[in-house]
Amino acid sequence: MSDDIRRWSDELARDPSSLVFLQLGEALRKQGQLEVALKIALRGLDRHQRNVAAHDLVARIAVDRRDFSRAFVEWELVLKIQPDHVGAMKGLGYLCFHQGRLEEAEQYLNKAAASGGGGDVRHALRMVRRTPASTAVPTVEATASKPAPADDPQYLFADQLLDEGQTALLLDTNGFVLAGVYLDVDGKNVSADIGAQLSGISEEVRRSTRHLDIGEWKAITFETHAAVIAMAPVANDNLMVIAASRATPLGLLRRLLERSSAFALEWLAGGRRGGDTP
Amino acid sequence: MSSPFATILDVLTRQRGVRASLIVSERDGVIVDASVRFGQDGDRIAALAASMYRKARLSARAARLGAVSFLQLDAERGRICAVGGGGDLVIVVVTDPQANVGLIRMELLKALDTFQETDDGLPSEGAKRQGEESR
Repeated sequence: MSDDIRRWSDELARDPSSLVFLQLGEALRKQGQLEVALKIALRGLDRHQRNVAAHDLVARIAVDRRDFSRAFVEWELVLKIQPDHVGAMKGLGYLCFHQGRLEEAEQYLNKAAASGGGGDVRHALRMVRRTPASTAVPTVEATASKPAPADDPQYLFADQLLDEGQTALLLDTNGFVLAGVYLDVDGKNVSADIGAQLSGISEEVRRSTRHLDIGEWKAITFETHAAVIAMAPVANDNLMVIAASRATPLGLLRRLLERSSAFALEWLAGGRRGGDTP
Repeated sequence: MSSPFATILDVLTRQRGVRASLIVSERDGVIVDASVRFGQDGDRIAALAASMYRKARLSARAARLGAVSFLQLDAERGRICAVGGGGDLVIVVVTDPQANVGLIRMELLKALDTFQETDDGLPSEGAKRQGEESR
């Protein structure tokens, strides 16, 4: 895959009007490099404004980024250009379903089925028809056949953060990523690298603070040229890490850390309870 | 014999709530100079501060966030604050939990400026460390 990405990147650099941006954007999306994928897709869309595949790609990246309104706009544009585009109908059906707009979801999925949509469309349609209209959105998400981005641990803290410049990562005691994601300035996922560098810090600090008789540690905050980072222990030496831009007041960063830590604690406890249930 | 860092440490130790101030080698966690109140375990503080600072620096590098300037550890009954300027040496203070961290941060950053002037005559450890890390 990385060879393909390199090859497509080279090709796009040689010929910026090439349609290879579609494959490159899709490959990057699948790798979780959403910011880079979006940049590539939007640049391609600038040059090919009536290309339905380009709009479809931007919509799918938007769904992964939980930017549902953008996804909605893009798929509606696809249907204006190509009214029988099955992918756009399925996408809009999914978005409506996700938002609890079941009648509209059924309409889109009906159209998709009539336009030749496959077994997955029929399955989705059956599920929409079975879902009571009063079902709350979270329940709808939980019963959806396609996993919603919110179910992906990478997006666990999306609702806790206040803007796109903030990021959250939950690491286990060995520095392995449990949830959240950290993308660097190029959109590369560096969560594992950060986890590796911070592995063991929680236990080491706990041992030392006890020995120094300053009690249990509550938080570590540090400033770099580009960001402020705060971390705190969460249940059994797991580590919650929050990063934000330098402009973020430290007090606000602490609030984010506390909120995300509480959320992570609940999530970890919930996971254990789920595991115990037969 | 007075070390070149004695004045810096004196200024820091005079701040309200400061229990200890140290100059520490980030590479090996060893004390270069220190002003520590009776009962404080200087070696343990140095080892912990150096390790935390090093982990922060390496994780910031992995995330491409640039150099670490100020670091603060909050515990139930005390705080440890540290600043570094890109070289091997880090200035560390241990404070009471009620100490004014904003003020101490400013004093540490001021001390870092003075320290970098003082440190000019000493061998550069940063270059040595970078060489080791690239291996």
